[in-house]
This record gives sequence, structure tokens and C-alpha cells, in this order.
Amino acid sequence: MEELILTLKEQIIDALNLEEIAPEDIDNDAPLFGDGLGLDSIDALELIVILDRFYGIKLANPAEGKNIFKSIRTIADYVATNRTK
Amino acid sequence: MIEVLATNITSPLGRTTEENYRAVWSGRSALRCYENWRDIPVRFGASMLSDEQMAELAIEGFTKFESLAIRSIEEALSHCEADPTSPRTIFILSTTKANIDELRCDTAECYSTPGEAAKKIARHFGMTNEPIVVCNACISGVTAQLLADSLITTGEYDTAVVCGADVVSPFVVAGFHSFKSLSPEACRPFDIERLGLNLGEAASTIIFGQMENTSTSKWRLMRGYLNNDAYHVSAPSPVGEGTVTAISKVMTGEEKDSLGVVCVHGTATMFNDQMESKAIERGGLSEIPICAIKGYYGHTLGAAGVLETVLTMRASDEGVVLAVRGFDEIGVSGKINISNQERSCTTDRFLKIISGFGGCNGVLLYSKEEVARNTTEVAHQIKCTHTIRITPNEVVLDDKPLMCTTTGGELLKELYKTHIGDYPKFYKMDTFSRLALIATDLLVGCETMDERAVEHDLILFNRSSSIVADRNHLATISDTDNFYPSPSVFLYTLPNIATGEIAIKHSFKGETSLYILEHKSEPTMKQITTATMQRSDNPTLITGWIDCESENQFEAEIKILTKQ
Repeated sequence: MEELILTLKEQIIDALNLEEIAPEDIDNDAPLFGDGLGLDSIDALELIVILDRFYGIKLANPAEGKNIFKSIRTIADYVATNRTK
Repeated sequence: MIEVLATNITSPLGRTTEENYRAVWSGRSALRCYENWRDIPVRFGASMLSDEQMAELAIEGFTKFESLAIRSIEEALSHCEADPTSPRTIFILSTTKANIDELRCDTAECYSTPGEAAKKIARHFGMTNEPIVVCNACISGVTAQLLADSLITTGEYDTAVVCGADVVSPFVVAGFHSFKSLSPEACRPFDIERLGLNLGEAASTIIFGQMENTSTSKWRLMRGYLNNDAYHVSAPSPVGEGTVTAISKVMTGEEKDSLGVVCVHGTATMFNDQMESKAIERGGLSEIPICAIKGYYGHTLGAAGVLETVLTMRASDEGVVLAVRGFDEIGVSGKINISNQERSCTTDRFLKIISGFGGCNGVLLYSKEEVARNTTEVAHQIKCTHTIRITPNEVVLDDKPLMCTTTGGELLKELYKTHIGDYPKFYKMDTFSRLALIATDLLVGCETMDERAVEHDLILFNRSSSIVADRNHLATISDTDNFYPSPSVFLYTLPNIATGEIAIKHSFKGETSLYILEHKSEPTMKQITTATMQRSDNPTLITGWIDCESENQFEAEIKILTKQ
């Protein structure tokens, strides 16, 4: 799981151009939206692309992401359970 | 105030305004379902010209986009005596992505910029003035009409040929797919089960002239208003803040009951329709019948503002409010007067409302009622208060060089770290938006507290549109087996997003527009900025040239103009 969490952080930093942030700066349990990393609705769509591209998980409805994208750990849990690649 | 001399709609539903009106009136829709169209692994609904239709419309030596625009303009010209070759005639092209379907990842050949496309079209008609391309996302068509009004009213020209056009391409389909905005079925504006928008391709033209008489036979653009929500670059203010303000400005001194219809944007996305319903309610227009025509044509992007205005004029001529195709059960919380049945339009007066990416909003008021001729307003004296120039090698602020240690794309990062530093969203932007944001930030930083306190309009010009983001987006969709279009890359393929980013950072709620020229032309830019300042009630305009050919090739030269 720790390896998956690190990979996810690197993929998110790359996809969202979080240029001044390193993986260790992101708390596994901190909220990604609002406070924390301060992501917005376009970033949420970009997270959907990450799930599809790297893990073969397709979220047709962005609203499904609300619970999945709470924190890095919730994403990792969802990916570990649902990944197809 | 200007009047309409002639119109055209060229679409899958017909080649004239009349053919289109008759088709829509009889309930025909051009929307079809597509799957794996041109190897794009997406299922979507769209309104597209058939191969047979295109065979009739295509003109040798011109692209599909250019051919469509030419066909629309020439048919409109055939209905009036306007002389396209006159030096008193200006051509304004409204488009979001123009010839983008010709762009290839591996070569710069065969692609002409929006400005070059406009020049080709202008040359076809023997037009002598430099054409202007309006690239203001979904509100381009409304911006173009208001620009025509400003340029004619201030006496720069007698006639304006305003053409809105866009074609459906894998580029655009993939982009809206990445935003999860596309409905796989025919769209359902304002309906509880709406799933998103459909794309559509069309061209539509309005030829405007000076108001010649006070008779009631012609449609007149009475006034209009553009502004920015300064809320989010891809989502409208949930309560329709900008649209409410625009409605209020346009309807000042007017009886709301005098409106026969409000032609709304009605894209059938969750956010747009909800926002518009709230704006209509807050604007006091809940009782006025609305028409939303995306269920017939889809979202025709740069053509939409023109096409929907033309169709509303034609329907109003017949005393008709067109049925909202696709609507069944109300799915928005704002109170609106909507029906999927044809209704009667009781007056010759309507509003066109539209909103778009970049946070921009526009409202136009059209009327056939008797009005007095224009009175000439006193021209404002305009003073330039601050200037900035940024190239890959130098930064000059108010004629003083700024010391920098880097060049090229790194220079922008250095300027950000040195002079801004607390706006991490900067790194998410494309180079064009970064350049525009930094130039504006440094410029506004020179203002005194008094200068900063007033509302600013923002009008930028360029040549290369959003070519860097365009190529980046194309790279993400060129391989069918590796098809992962990025929403944050696609976003910046609308160059007016740069104006939205600036509006958000500085809370600018005035007009924000982006124009593309074939080349940097100071006289054309001055014409537009002067005419805009005469129209606007805001005292200050930030304007100038922001062009970005690559991540290391760019130029920003902007200034602050203030009315005296």
C-alpha cells in the first residue's frame, strides 16, 4: 500500500503541475480539496484521468469521485480494490 | 445602436435563415448519435454536416471551416446592398477553434491561424480592412455583435459583416469529453434528466449597418453588456452573478414586460442551466418565455451567439417562441417560463443571454420598435498610465528595465517567484496564461491605490491563439490506444482562459475579451480599444498584445488606459 501511495502522489504532482510540492509534503489523510492541497473541480477531472490511464478504472460520473478523492489514502484504497491494470 | 441588414444560417438544417427557421419550427433536429467517430473512442451526440452537404458547401482552396463561413457570408450579402469591398466595411469573425482540425502534431504545414483564416475569407470577398477574430469561448458570437455596434456607433465603419462559425473536430470532442460535458444522447436543456451538451457545426452571419431610419421593419441591436464573474475559469457563478448584472445593465430604463422572449444559452449541462435559471429569476425575467435551441443544433460554439440571435429574430418575426426541444420536466431551481411546445411571442423585443469558459457573460437587447436615431456621444480622452513589455530576454516596466537572471520560459517562473510567489495556480497554467497573468500583475502593481480601486475592463490581442496548449492537447489524443485527453490541458486551448485567470486573481468584473489578428496591428487594436472604452462604463482598460508561439517564444506588450 505504501508503494501505491507514493506512486499516486507522484502521478498527482505530475498531472496537476504541483511544482513546488514533493510527495512527502502531502499528508496521506489530509483533505485534497478545499484545505490541504486546495484542488478544484478541474483537478478532480484530472484525477479521474489518472484512475483511467494508470489503473483502468473508469468513472463516468464525476460525482462518484466525491468520496474517492477525499485524501490520498482513500484514493489508494479505492485503486487497490478496483484496479484492472 | 445599429440595425440588421441581412442574416444567414448555414447548418445541417439548411443553407438560409428561412430554411433553418422552417426546419426548427417544424420540430426537426440535426442531432445524431456518434460512436468511435474518426477513431475517437467516445460516444456522443452532435449535429454535423453530412458528406453530401459538405460536397455542396466545400470551396476549392479553402478548409471546411473557411468554406462554411464563406457560404454563410455570401448568402447573407445576397440579401442586402452592403459592399464588402468598401473601406467602410469591417469583417468580424467569431470562432473558438477555427481551423483546428487541420493542425497536426508533427508538422506546422497546412494549418492557418484564426487570423490567417479570417484574412483568406476577407480576401475572397475583396474586403480591404484587416479582419478581427473574436475568440471569447462560448460568448464569442455575442461579443462580435457588440464589437460591431461599438465600431459602427463610434463612426469607424458604416457596415460590419459578423460571421460566427465552428466545425466539430476530434480535438473539440475529446476536450469536452475530458470535461465529462458531452451527452451521449440528444441534449435536454433545463430538464431533470439532462446529461450534458451536444456539439454542433454551423456558420451564421449578420450584416449590420448604421441605423438609417426610425421605421419598425428592421431589427436593431439596442445595447449590450459584457462582464466577467471572476469566479472560476470553467464554471459559472452558481447564482449567475455576472449574468444578473449584465441583465440589469441592459434593461436599465426598460420595462421587463416589453420582452417577448429571452433566448438563453441552455447548454443542457448541470451547471450552466442551473446558473441561468437563477440569473433569470434574480433578473426579474421569470415570467418571460425562454427559448433554448441547443436541442436542434447542439452547441455551435463560436457560431452559437450569432445563430441563436438570428433564429430568435426570425421566430419573433412570425410571433413565435420556439419550442424547447429536449425539455420535459423542470430540473433547475430558478423560476423560468419554459415549454417544449411552440408559443406566441407578443412583442418585437428580446434578450440574448450567454455565458462561457473564462467566466465571461454577455447580454444583448434587440428590438424592432421605433427608436430615435443615435446621438453622438462626447468622446472620452484616453490617457496611458502604465506600460509593460516582456520578451524572452527582457522585461521593461514603465520604461525601466527589470533585472532578471534567466531567459525564455524560465524567465516567467523567475518573475513569478520574485514578484508574485503566493499563487500556486500559476504552475497549472499554460505559458500563454502565465505570461498574461505576470504581465498584468506587474502592471497593476504600478497603480496607485486610487487607480486600483476602480473597475477594469480587459482586452487582449494575439496572433497565435493558444497554439502551445493546442499542440499539447493534440498530443494526448493522437493515439487511439493511448487516448487520455487532459481537462487541464484542454482548458487552455481556449485562449480567453487567460483573461479569466487574470479576472479571478484581481477580481476584475468588467468586460474580458480576446481578439486574434493576422498580425500585430496597432491601428486595429487602437480602434477596438477606443470603441470599447466609449461603450464601457468602466473608467480603466488593461489592453495590449500577448502572443505565445512556443514555451520560449513570446511577447507581451500591454498597458493601462484611463478615461480622463
